[in-house]
Amino acid sequence: MPEPQPDHAQWIRDALQTHEHSLLQYAGRLLRGDTDRARDVVQDTFLKLCRQPREKIDDHLAQWLFTVCRNRAFEILRKEGRMTPLNDSDLAVRAAEAPDPAAGALRRDRLSAVVALLGELPERQQELIRLKFHSNLSYKEISGIMDLSVSNVGYLLHTGMRTLRRRLGEMETQTRESLP
Amino acid sequence: MIDSNDPRLTAYVLGEMTAEEAEEFALLLAGDTRARDEVAAIRDTAAALRQGLAAEATPCLTEDQRAAIHRAAGRRPTPARVRGWRLLAFAGAAAAACLVCVLATHTWRRARVRPGAALEMALSPAPGAAGDEEVKKRAIPTAAAESLTAPALRQDLAAAVERPLAQEAGPAPTASPEAYDIRAIVAAPADGAHGGVPGPVPAAKTWSMRTPDVINGLAPARSRAGGERPAMPSLTGKPEAVAPVRVRREMADAFLALGQATPEREAAPARRLAEDVTEDQAPNREAYDHIRDNPFRNVADEPLSTFSIDVDTASYSNLRRFLSNGQRPPPDAVRIEELVNYFRYDYPPPRDGKAFAVHADTASCPWKPAHRLVRIGLKGRVPEPGARPPANLVFLVDVSGSMRPPDKLPLLVQGMKMLVNQLGESDRVAMAVYAGASGLVLPSTPAGNRGEILAALDRLQAGGSTNGGAGIELAYRVATENRVEGGINRVILATDGDFNVGVTDRGSLTRMIEEKARTGVFLTVLGFGTGNIQDATMEQLADRGNGAYAYIDSEREARKVLVEQVGATLHTIAKDVKIQVEFNPTRVTAYRLIGYENRILANQDFHDDTKDAGEIGAGHTVTAFYEVVPAGTEPPAGIAGVDGLRYQTPRTITAAAAGNELLTVKLRHKQPDADTSELQEIPVPDDSRSWESTPDDFQFASAVALFGMVLRHSPYAGEAGLDMVLELAAPAARHDPHGNRTEFLELVRKAKTLVQR
Repeated sequence: MPEPQPDHAQWIRDALQTHEHSLLQYAGRLLRGDTDRARDVVQDTFLKLCRQPREKIDDHLAQWLFTVCRNRAFEILRKEGRMTPLNDSDLAVRAAEAPDPAAGALRRDRLSAVVALLGELPERQQELIRLKFHSNLSYKEISGIMDLSVSNVGYLLHTGMRTLRRRLGEMETQTRESLP
Repeated sequence: MIDSNDPRLTAYVLGEMTAEEAEEFALLLAGDTRARDEVAAIRDTAAALRQGLAAEATPCLTEDQRAAIHRAAGRRPTPARVRGWRLLAFAGAAAAACLVCVLATHTWRRARVRPGAALEMALSPAPGAAGDEEVKKRAIPTAAAESLTAPALRQDLAAAVERPLAQEAGPAPTASPEAYDIRAIVAAPADGAHGGVPGPVPAAKTWSMRTPDVINGLAPARSRAGGERPAMPSLTGKPEAVAPVRVRREMADAFLALGQATPEREAAPARRLAEDVTEDQAPNREAYDHIRDNPFRNVADEPLSTFSIDVDTASYSNLRRFLSNGQRPPPDAVRIEELVNYFRYDYPPPRDGKAFAVHADTASCPWKPAHRLVRIGLKGRVPEPGARPPANLVFLVDVSGSMRPPDKLPLLVQGMKMLVNQLGESDRVAMAVYAGASGLVLPSTPAGNRGEILAALDRLQAGGSTNGGAGIELAYRVATENRVEGGINRVILATDGDFNVGVTDRGSLTRMIEEKARTGVFLTVLGFGTGNIQDATMEQLADRGNGAYAYIDSEREARKVLVEQVGATLHTIAKDVKIQVEFNPTRVTAYRLIGYENRILANQDFHDDTKDAGEIGAGHTVTAFYEVVPAGTEPPAGIAGVDGLRYQTPRTITAAAAGNELLTVKLRHKQPDADTSELQEIPVPDDSRSWESTPDDFQFASAVALFGMVLRHSPYAGEAGLDMVLELAAPAARHDPHGNRTEFLELVRKAKTLVQR
């Protein structure tokens, strides 16, 4: 048992409180919905954080956490051979895995429709959009996590959002037309 | 012209530009209508994404994982998971100042990564911890056995530990290998130094023989012990509320610590306990208090039966959620009275200006034909339409991270909007939120400004931990400040009940609520969500806060509680409603109250106006059943009564006992703003009616009660099963304007498929 370090412990506690859900969500997506594994990954991430000196991490805490979490998740996927690296153009034409999630979501509302449509985007764009809008990270942080240039982040995000908007528009038009 | 593919559009919306860049870009935009439209559209999509993603279900780390992290951080987690009782219990045990008999229920999740992580936490106060697995197996046995002095007592305790377990063993309702329950009984020695507690051994015997009495017996025994004993959160004088049955991880942790302090291994039965429970898996972090079915009581010994009414319905909607998800509900999640009271029954309302009408009738008992079934039905006054007094409502909304899933905050917002649409010009609404911190997001606003209220609801977002205590303070303060004399003053707390920051232990929370309830502000608790429902906390808060607890699992349920029955939900017409039944020994040998296990009152509390009890709302119905063993019928096993008394003769029979009366229902209630109660008495004759000839409502309600008994694996259900429930309920579900009874039949069928699998 290490000596109590109130400041350090408080720092970890705050970090956990702020980022736990967001990291779990992120890890869960990367690990294809395997919540238990996601929990392990996030636990590992924080255990690793415990061993870091605060002054080294504090100014880029979120980025550090998400990067470690991502690397850890990819490590697991690689080990299990579940990694299917796909580039954006491949993914653009790949159908969503769930049976027509958007149509099902329509009865709920527009918010769920957006989330359902998000699932049809290329994986990298999905990851990026989630980091931006769910985890509230900046372009710079995202570029660090995903190993992309900042301008690349901006471009991919913009493209992803446009696609999303276009499909949402199409879907709403269809719904209107299908109404009596 | 800015090209619509220009990523700067998005960067501008998201604030990803430097100040100069943004300024420059804004100038460009000023002259470009299409780009401005584009920016508006991006804003819109961004907002939808933010909200949509925020509403997604978010998992949590397990408690043990969190504990492991906190430990690695070099310090024990203070705010969230370590509550006061552990320390108190620890200190209390160390002092061994009194006889403490505790039934602990502990739902405890094993860490996936490091088994026993939480255990280490529990042990950390005492140095020299044994290996994780070792301690896990042995801690409880030694805790139980070591602290006992008398071998006889030790045996009793061992037996007591075994018995409940044996009864509760059986297929786990839902499977997840993550968690298990520990139930343990621990006794500390009472030696002469501790203020002469007379006969600790017999006392312990009594408790272990009749577990429900652990609850009743404990409070007096502890107060007799007196002394400097650390006060466990004793909630009120209400016997069912005494802490020990509700003890969870804190106490169990303390036991583990105890066991570790005296690492000796005996008490094999208790060890078996630890092993057994490892297989008895609990589904998740949902927490339910243990319920033991009310036993049969001998009329010669106990002619009086006293309980508080309960208008909660949460258990039914919770059960519906389980069954719809293809799981059988854990028995402790089934509160029979809440099942029965979920449905509407057509009792005639009072005509004489009274707050409510009391009805009582009897019939043969369908699952035990030799017995009689007595139904007591209350119907609250139905105010004239539009006669509802003005309301001053404060919504207190839990916006912590755990509320993010769509069946929580989004459903809550939807439900609250329905409620707001029911309100009139003279009503007011305020809204406070709490997460890590709490704040007022809408000051008290006339309900006429509907737009403003709805907009405030739309702005709610989930995130952070849950400091319920601070939120409750704030909400009651706002309610008091805007108090409407003679009107409805009510806090509506919407939460999943998982208070994990600030005042977190249930004892303190309920005490706080109880204090607030004295200000005349009533409380409604709306429970939401799955996975970490702290059912017991919510139920108790509502109980103590002069309020009701409803569980909202769907839009439809929201509509039932907040629209169809809005009058009953908001408008309390009588408070502290207590029922006492006196049985006629010449007609009845034994009786059993079905359900209301955690609403039982001591007989003397009936006429004690300081003792809190349940509230009844406008038009509410409340139904209770007694299963009665008529005189001349063979009494159920185990209630043969006690041996004859040397110094007293049995009670003499009065002239009234010679009549046809089975029992008398006595009822006390207070007007919502009164301090003294009014008494009503209704003698109930036995009309020898058969169950088949009773009205639909009687038949249906008794079928619902049986359903609860079957799901609870009640020993009193006998041979009856779900088939009988269907058989009894189906004909009585014909008249079903709201579709609730039909839904019930579907749930029973669903339960059948789950049982047979």
